[in-house]
Amino acid sequence: MAVYKRGYSRYTGDLTGRWQRLVAVPRFVWGRLFGQRYVVALFVLALFWPLLCCLFVYVANHAELWSSFGRDMAKMLEINGQFFLVFMNVQSVFTMILAAMAGPGLIAPDIANNALPLYFSRPQSRVDYVLSRFLVVAGLLSLVTILPALFLLAMQTGLAGFRWALDFWYLPAGVLAGFALWILIVSLVALACSAYVKWRVVSGALVLAFFFLLGGAAEMMNAVFRTTSMSHLNPAKAMNRIWAALLRTEPGAELNTAVCAASLAALAVLLILVLERKLRPVEVIS
Amino acid sequence: MSHVIELDNLSVRLGRREILKKISCRIGRPGSGRAIGLLGPNGAGKSTLIQTLLGFHKPSAGAARILGFDCHHSSTQVKALLGYMPESDSFVAQLPAITFIRLLAELSGLPPAAALEKAHETLFHVGLGEARYRPIGTYSLGMKQMAKLAQAIVHGPELVILDEPTNGLDPGARTRMLKLIREMKEEHGMHVILCSHLLRDVEETCDEVVILKDGVIVHQADLEAERRANRRFVELEVLGDDSALATALGAIRAEGLNEGGGRWRIVLPGEVEISALWKVTASCSLAIRKLTHRRDTLEEIFLKAVGHLRATPGEEAGRKPEEAAIHGRL
Repeated sequence: MAVYKRGYSRYTGDLTGRWQRLVAVPRFVWGRLFGQRYVVALFVLALFWPLLCCLFVYVANHAELWSSFGRDMAKMLEINGQFFLVFMNVQSVFTMILAAMAGPGLIAPDIANNALPLYFSRPQSRVDYVLSRFLVVAGLLSLVTILPALFLLAMQTGLAGFRWALDFWYLPAGVLAGFALWILIVSLVALACSAYVKWRVVSGALVLAFFFLLGGAAEMMNAVFRTTSMSHLNPAKAMNRIWAALLRTEPGAELNTAVCAASLAALAVLLILVLERKLRPVEVIS
Repeated sequence: MSHVIELDNLSVRLGRREILKKISCRIGRPGSGRAIGLLGPNGAGKSTLIQTLLGFHKPSAGAARILGFDCHHSSTQVKALLGYMPESDSFVAQLPAITFIRLLAELSGLPPAAALEKAHETLFHVGLGEARYRPIGTYSLGMKQMAKLAQAIVHGPELVILDEPTNGLDPGARTRMLKLIREMKEEHGMHVILCSHLLRDVEETCDEVVILKDGVIVHQADLEAERRANRRFVELEVLGDDSALATALGAIRAEGLNEGGGRWRIVLPGEVEISALWKVTASCSLAIRKLTHRRDTLEEIFLKAVGHLRATPGEEAGRKPEEAAIHGRL
């Protein structure tokens, strides 16, 4: 029967579980995001670098193509932690831009339109609300970070053989853990900016500004205090130091891995506190 | 079975202010749908009570339960039973109504296909069928109210909390909204809590009322029982010699008080219908000029409860001792 002839009746069927409810928002948002041309364009652009890296892996594993260039070239084309560190650094720029595009639309419209009471009057907690928005950004960023990285690792293992995988056993875990940490930080920044600023454009700009301003401020303080330790406050540099440690590459001397991890943990806690403060169904004025 | 709402010494403190002060009551009989009116002057604590029922505020003491579930400790179970229509605009303006309501239905636990089907069904039900693909931000005020109602009932909740549902509606839309509310309880068996400043809306739709003032419940009334009681008290005006009327009323076990000039105040026993009075007056050869039920309007109940009115207007003036005795028995 046509729906307009049927009339209203109460739903009496089975209800979905918590996890299926959590993925409802990501499904809606991904559908909307990939309907926007500029998001699709950036997404395609973000996959160019992994493609180049694939080409590099292919070339590096075909000795006949470069043997005439000598031993130096052979060393340069080695697939090791340094190669993946460069890959991750470039992809991290795309993740920031993608987060700046996808993040602001997640919470800002709900706050601007006073829609939070409607969400919180449903069987979902504040944690569920944040988790579902986090899944949107994390899922999107995983497509341009973790997925290409896994493909590269699989390709390299396939071409170089099992021996290479045994020699560099720490690389898959390091790449995955490194990207997971970066996605966590970028997603939290995107969500916190979206919760803090009601206007989507300003919120998007704030996501980018967050990284550049913090980096700039850290360098400025380094110059003022004639030190290098303030670079620990630069999230991009701190993350790079952690990646270097995870991928066992030669780290720069000026940063300490443990301090970098602590500063990023403090940043994550701060961002979670912002979300906790802003995401309330009703504002209580004491 | 549990009552729809049970408040047990409930206190809620926001900041340093105690908004709800140890309120206790049991509202709404379990079973078929009941509508409960929540009334009170501004600042009485109505919104705080609603928000506490929704689990937005933690009680500082006592407990609130909905259909047996504690609103704070079993918040998820409670919310699965609830639908909430807030007073202020509350939606994502850029989204089409169908998308937004489908999303909220899915968040309430409906599977995707069922959520889409119910979103269409509900939007047609509230009269937004033709406008369901339009962004909600382009809706008129009346349409927005209907969209808010649609999202509150799309998942078929046991209890629907409506905060000022007729705000800003023109008379036609208001009538439609009240009809939908009546249908919700009568045809779909939902319990309804209606928070409104418009006493007439509450009177037209609710079975019970709770009146709050300064954070305490000052009156709780079963409107159905009040209406039944009102029907027992009749004011009669007749033409002709009414000297035999008192005896005739005695035959049907009714009590009458002659006020002179053919005016009578009569209390009917429970099982006697008002139509019996026509027979009695006919047997005494009297013509009825006027026959009215006493009507203690909700406005009078409300004003008495909040202390702006001592008693029903005209009730005290001219009341004789015998009449007072009749009132005492009512």
